[in-house]
Amino acid sequence: MTRPLSIAAGLATIAMAAAGAMIFLYAPRDALEGEPQRIFYLHVSAAIAAYVAFALVLAGGVVYLWTESAAADRLARVSAEVGLLFTTITLVMGSLWAKPIWGAYWTWDARLTSTLVLWMMYAAYLLVRRIAAPGRQAARFAAVVGIIAFIDVPIVHFSVDWWRTQHPQSVINAPGGPALPPEMLITFAVTALAVLLLTGVLIAVRYRIEALREQVAGLIEEAEAA
Amino acid sequence: MTAFLRVMGAVAGKDLRTELRSRELLPSLAQFVILALLIANFGFDVGQAGSAVIAPGVLWLALVFAGLVAFGRTFAAERDQGSLESLLLTPANRAAIFLGKALAAAILLLACEVVLVPGLALFFGTPVASPTLVGALALATVGMAALGCLFAALAAQTRARELLLPVLALPLWIPFVVVGGRAVQIAMGAPGAGGPALGLLLDFDILFVVVASLAARFVLDD
Repeated sequence: MTRPLSIAAGLATIAMAAAGAMIFLYAPRDALEGEPQRIFYLHVSAAIAAYVAFALVLAGGVVYLWTESAAADRLARVSAEVGLLFTTITLVMGSLWAKPIWGAYWTWDARLTSTLVLWMMYAAYLLVRRIAAPGRQAARFAAVVGIIAFIDVPIVHFSVDWWRTQHPQSVINAPGGPALPPEMLITFAVTALAVLLLTGVLIAVRYRIEALREQVAGLIEEAEAA
Repeated sequence: MTAFLRVMGAVAGKDLRTELRSRELLPSLAQFVILALLIANFGFDVGQAGSAVIAPGVLWLALVFAGLVAFGRTFAAERDQGSLESLLLTPANRAAIFLGKALAAAILLLACEVVLVPGLALFFGTPVASPTLVGALALATVGMAALGCLFAALAAQTRARELLLPVLALPLWIPFVVVGGRAVQIAMGAPGAGGPALGLLLDFDILFVVVASLAARFVLDD
């Protein structure tokens, strides 16, 4: 790893540990939901991280189709993996919260449905990368899937929402300011920043591994040709 | 614009003519949907009271899987005979070729629905001649064909194409199944008005036909 990346990785580790400490020691116990409410911090932060990663998949895909830049494709590919990881965390933690609060691990609410569809679409994205011929075809096809998946998810959300919804409404973005006590808000802000830093580090590390892998493949090809 | 429509019409005409002469896909699709109804009947233990509740679900399950088969065939056949390359060697607009193939596939799926819906009415005792039901199916078919054919074109150019198409198309079809499913439930007696659902389906159609024809250039360019 390069030096700035090592420093960032160290910072992300410290930030995640600090967020963990704040979630369990600093944030007050929720009057209504009790201990399960502490899931909220990491659950929402992971969802934000996943959206950021998938926005990078979209941006990388658009730039790739425009310029055929290998770097844009690499960024899209590694962001999809990291985004899928954080979507999984979001879904699992959300289900764990829903069991004591709603009485069931799963309901067919707009957010739950669209997050599940999000997960399946980016899993399909990675499958396309694996099945298509490596190189230009995989990059192009994946870019098309990444772009359409990003368009489709808000539409899934909207169409189920039009039908019915149960997920709690946003407490951070609520009308008339955040509907959280300041201690909870600070804990959430620290967790969200820590998770975003971790996301950036994971993407950067995976990007570097992929770049090196491609470099090695190029060198082997050169050596075989010579 | 007229050249675009002419190419589109020629490609769609070619696909439909091939189907009319070979009579491969439609008879098997028709048989497939009737078999789906048969299996649903025994899978669900349909009584007189329950049929209106499960019939919309059976309709959409049969339709979605028939769609996967129909759209998968449109590009698989071209691929097997190597005619996709020659089609792409012509200077014709990629989007026009793609939309022509999607149009033919949509017409084939509509023909399959002409068997499915009366079959459902016969075996499950559900109303058929409702404008909401017919409108919802027709509108959903258009959008599903646009997305389905785009990913069928993509999948046909990879190995393991039968594997890839359902994984790609099914999640993307969910908005059509959610809104179209609601419209069919309303048509079969659920409370509510069908109008907003049909309007939403039309919006989805416009969006996905445009997106798919823009993306077609990148999928059909190897």
